[in-house]
Amino acid sequence: MKKKILIVEDDRFLRELIAKKIKEQGYDVSEAGDGESGLKLIKETKLDLILLDLILPGIDGFQVLKNIKQDPETADIPVIILSNLGQKEDIDKGMDLGAEDFLIKAHFTPGEIIEKIKITLD
Amino acid sequence: MTQKTNDQEILAVSKIISIFTDGILFFDQSNKLVLMNKEAEKILNISKKDVIRKKIIELIGTPYLENIVGALLSGRKKRWEEEMEINEKIINVSFVKNNGTLIVLHDITKEKMVEQMKNEFVSIVAHQLRTPISSIKWTLKMFLEESFGRTTKEQKKYLKKIYTVNEKMVELINDLLNIAKIEEGRYVYKPVSTNLGRLIDSTIEQFKEKAEAKNIKISFNNLEKNAKVVVDPEKIKLVLQNLIDNAIKYNHEEGKVMIALKKEEDNLLVSVKDTGMGIPTNQQKRIFTKFFRAANVMKTDAEGSGLGLYINKELIEAHGGKIWFESVEKKGSSFYFSLPLQKNKNKIK
Repeated sequence: MKKKILIVEDDRFLRELIAKKIKEQGYDVSEAGDGESGLKLIKETKLDLILLDLILPGIDGFQVLKNIKQDPETADIPVIILSNLGQKEDIDKGMDLGAEDFLIKAHFTPGEIIEKIKITLD
Repeated sequence: MTQKTNDQEILAVSKIISIFTDGILFFDQSNKLVLMNKEAEKILNISKKDVIRKKIIELIGTPYLENIVGALLSGRKKRWEEEMEINEKIINVSFVKNNGTLIVLHDITKEKMVEQMKNEFVSIVAHQLRTPISSIKWTLKMFLEESFGRTTKEQKKYLKKIYTVNEKMVELINDLLNIAKIEEGRYVYKPVSTNLGRLIDSTIEQFKEKAEAKNIKISFNNLEKNAKVVVDPEKIKLVLQNLIDNAIKYNHEEGKVMIALKKEEDNLLVSVKDTGMGIPTNQQKRIFTKFFRAANVMKTDAEGSGLGLYINKELIEAHGGKIWFESVEKKGSSFYFSLPLQKNKNKIK
């Protein structure tokens, strides 16, 4: 069965690009444009990995991550933060909350992001 | 001088300084507070009659004034300045010793606020720019990887060029974010014991490709393999990246970059030498100022932001180190920085 990846990203263009790239690699993709609908999908679907942006309308990514890790049903799903924040405090906060990795969008190509996903899923 | 003329003199000066917009205090040679204007009363939130003619020692314990008296007692120089937070305001306090001590209190709260707003603005803009720049980066890369169908050789050539330009923007944004943080003074330091040689090794590794593209050889003469410094390794790595990047960027094809690490008294000394275009003598003074780029560099290389060396100076000095250089135009430049060596652990305890 194909592994399923959720992308939580409010910028539609970026979301489309990375979704296309991930689909090319043979994964199933779900998409959410804000934290609230992201959390809803996380509860309803069985996911193998979550790509999470931090600055989101409404509930922000840090809060989404906190909720995922607090719920025993979802706590084991690996979360990779994909954000344009990237100061030391942000990275420390994300990693402390239980993220697998912290990728700054402007510093990684789609191919490099796929690499990180593969390493995490293996 | 009789007491009377002295009093008259003080009265005359008091009249003049009463209209000054800065706070003024004057201690005479016997360390007695003999002059104080209205503005000083306002800034320090005290009334003149409670403190005038008192000796420094007697003023210890007076709120706000105490900070100034403390600085005055510990000051050894002829003149110096300090920034102090007094009564919820930020005051630049300058001390001048000359037959007594003149103290000038200048309120810089507003300037500090504007500076903070500017930094926040730069920080927000830079963060906001990262999103569209990421879309451009990702799209170009996917074109190059033919996610959107085949691209011809010529198309690829130009796509690669745009990609490089876009990467420059990513770097520029990183520089701006770093500077905003440095100037806000909230650059987080987590100093840890760091092997400087190993940090240099890993930084050189990052520049392998870039150096090879210009046939430049990077050598590293490490004379202190075990020496450690207590630093924020990410920040020192940034300093090294800036220096090595410059040494490659402003070098000739088949040039050399020679890095060395050695001990000098209680410091570790790093040198990064290149065989590049050098810095013209008449421009050397300004090399560490923000946005400054030397004239010869401007002619040959349109890239670069003029921020790297400014960032370096701020970072090294924040670590208690020094940074300097020697350069001969058309021959090359040597940049040096020193950092205090980590003392033996037993000694610290």
